[in-house]
Amino acid sequence: MSVAQRTSAGAQRSAALRSFEAQWLAREPDAILPLREQAMERMLRLGLPGARDESWRYTPLRQLGARSFVDAPPATDETIAPSASLSLLGVSERVATVLMVNGHPVLPGAIDLTIDGTDISSLKSLARTDPGLLTRFLAPLSDAEESRFDLLNTALFVDGLYVRVKARCATPIVILHLATADRADTVSYPRVIIEVAPGAHATLIEHHVRQGAYTPFCNSSSHLALRRGAALDHYRVFATDAESTHVDSLTVGQERDSVCRQFTIVLGGGLVRATLDARLSEPNASLENSSLLVGHEQRHVDCVNVVHHAAADTRSRQTARSIASGESRVIFNSKVVVDAGAVHAESQQSCRGLLLSPTAEIDSRPQLEIHADEVKCAHGASTGRLDADMLFYLLARGLDRETAQSLLIYAFLGEVLVAMTVPTARAAIETALITQLPNPDLFRSMR
Amino acid sequence: MNVDKTLLKIDRLGARVGGKQILDGLDLEIGAGEVHAIMGPNGSGKSTLAQVLAGREDYEVTSGSVTFQGRDLLAMAPEERARAGLFLGFQYPVEIPGVNNVYLLKAALNSKRKAAGEPEVDAYEFLALVKQKMKLMQISESFLTRGVNEGFSGGEKKRNEILQMLVLEPTLAILDETDSGLDIDALKIVSEGVNSLKDARRSVVLVTHYQRLLNYIVPDRVHVLSRGRIVKSGDASLALELERRGYDWVAGEKAA
Repeated sequence: MSVAQRTSAGAQRSAALRSFEAQWLAREPDAILPLREQAMERMLRLGLPGARDESWRYTPLRQLGARSFVDAPPATDETIAPSASLSLLGVSERVATVLMVNGHPVLPGAIDLTIDGTDISSLKSLARTDPGLLTRFLAPLSDAEESRFDLLNTALFVDGLYVRVKARCATPIVILHLATADRADTVSYPRVIIEVAPGAHATLIEHHVRQGAYTPFCNSSSHLALRRGAALDHYRVFATDAESTHVDSLTVGQERDSVCRQFTIVLGGGLVRATLDARLSEPNASLENSSLLVGHEQRHVDCVNVVHHAAADTRSRQTARSIASGESRVIFNSKVVVDAGAVHAESQQSCRGLLLSPTAEIDSRPQLEIHADEVKCAHGASTGRLDADMLFYLLARGLDRETAQSLLIYAFLGEVLVAMTVPTARAAIETALITQLPNPDLFRSMR
Repeated sequence: MNVDKTLLKIDRLGARVGGKQILDGLDLEIGAGEVHAIMGPNGSGKSTLAQVLAGREDYEVTSGSVTFQGRDLLAMAPEERARAGLFLGFQYPVEIPGVNNVYLLKAALNSKRKAAGEPEVDAYEFLALVKQKMKLMQISESFLTRGVNEGFSGGEKKRNEILQMLVLEPTLAILDETDSGLDIDALKIVSEGVNSLKDARRSVVLVTHYQRLLNYIVPDRVHVLSRGRIVKSGDASLALELERRGYDWVAGEKAA
């Protein structure tokens, strides 16, 4: 019995869900069909998250649910060409850029590409050459209830990227995710798998941008697999437009002695839901997550982190800085779970919010769930407005109000910015941030 | 040449904070090139006067007027006052982690220059100027890379206030208890800094609780503030007399 037969009775299903099902029925079967089938079935059974789902209480999907989606178009020559100007880092010899258009990788000439000892191939080709490996990467890390969009991506992604870092890769790799459509109500399912071999190092930047008349609804999933002693700096940067909706599911699996530094930066997007689901499965694995969430106008940013300490001597640190102006809303929920065996685990959660208008809203909620003894877990959350004493001090030195406010906002975000390890990425993110400050000319004279 | 020597004229100034009247009909006139000391017991309104002159919004001006270089000071925003040459040395300078000391200094100087129609300061000349003033104020090199007042001791914060003053070269410097919390060496350094700024065009108002500072910066006039108004004025000897006889003496004399 196919998924469609078993679930077609769901007459009250939303338009969006019905359109996802229609997409599913139209897909060509491939080598990972059983896994996809399982994922689709679970997704359809669970349905779109609603008001009763705790993790979605701040982000209603009614509008999304009422839309019917079709696949966003694959890459064309037109969509490939102008992308360089959209890239956060530009195109230079210091970074390697791989373009993905609506989830379809655009690899030059051949299917595979090697950058600085790192192999990059399409998921389509991986499905042909090693479906078993692909299947292992696609198995959900945690509770399906929490990762419905990840399931949907698993069922419906057409292609994607498999990045295998084999040694020390000195060149930062940028995956430029371009969202583009010439009609409304399209959807894309970008999928990225990054595997860092034992002892290997890399920096990878996933940058989401848009161009063209319409922006597809983007349901992206990325998985980071860090083997023993591997080190990865991973950035995901969202910089799309006010009309766009983006749900991004990031899962991280870490083995012994691995170090992951993960940066989540939301600079744009009408509705951005970004989840991080990390599992520190072997001793001495360490995760540092830094989030920089900017809400303005009527934007909606919802971040949910779950960090699972599943082994002894694992460490995690989550630092979030949120700012909200206009009528925007920024939500940052983080949860640390320490399993019974994870003795000597250490975790820190620091969430700070800065409200720049009376109509903006920030919700920060760090949570802890500890099942082990002898752990060190700290968390703190605070949200406030610009400090009046600091502001007056700067005004009393002759700085205009916009500049003074901008400086204080910048200082507030500084802690996350200074943690960024790629100078060009940091400079580009700073520049993108500064254009949103009350005084966009800030620092002009300093550079 | 007949030039009005009056730099600042305060006329029957009243101010309130949180519903409480702090300044109550205060008169004061400061001429160009003069050093004035404003003394008085705690709660007499000294710091309120300094904050009101600098433009702090929390204080509500209830009466009177303030003229600075012929302009209506109270109608000006805090940043306009600063650019026009008024400088407040804060009693409690705030720490602003993430905003670099030098960046602030440069932005402050450039905003003043811009208001005066002058070009932005040259980066190399500026750094040389800051380093020269840092040496005078005995501020260590690490200052250059640190956030505004970040991790500074009380004394370092006060020296930083004077450093900022020396770079900005205000026409009127109001120093709010700059001497408090300073040991004798720091007091000398700060005094030297203030004295180096003095000239025929610049005036200084020292708001202080103690006479000690006035051994190093000799005032032309000393005023005693009590219950929101000036109750007694005199020359530098008044400060010595206050030190000897205490503020009760003035208050008592007034009452008598």
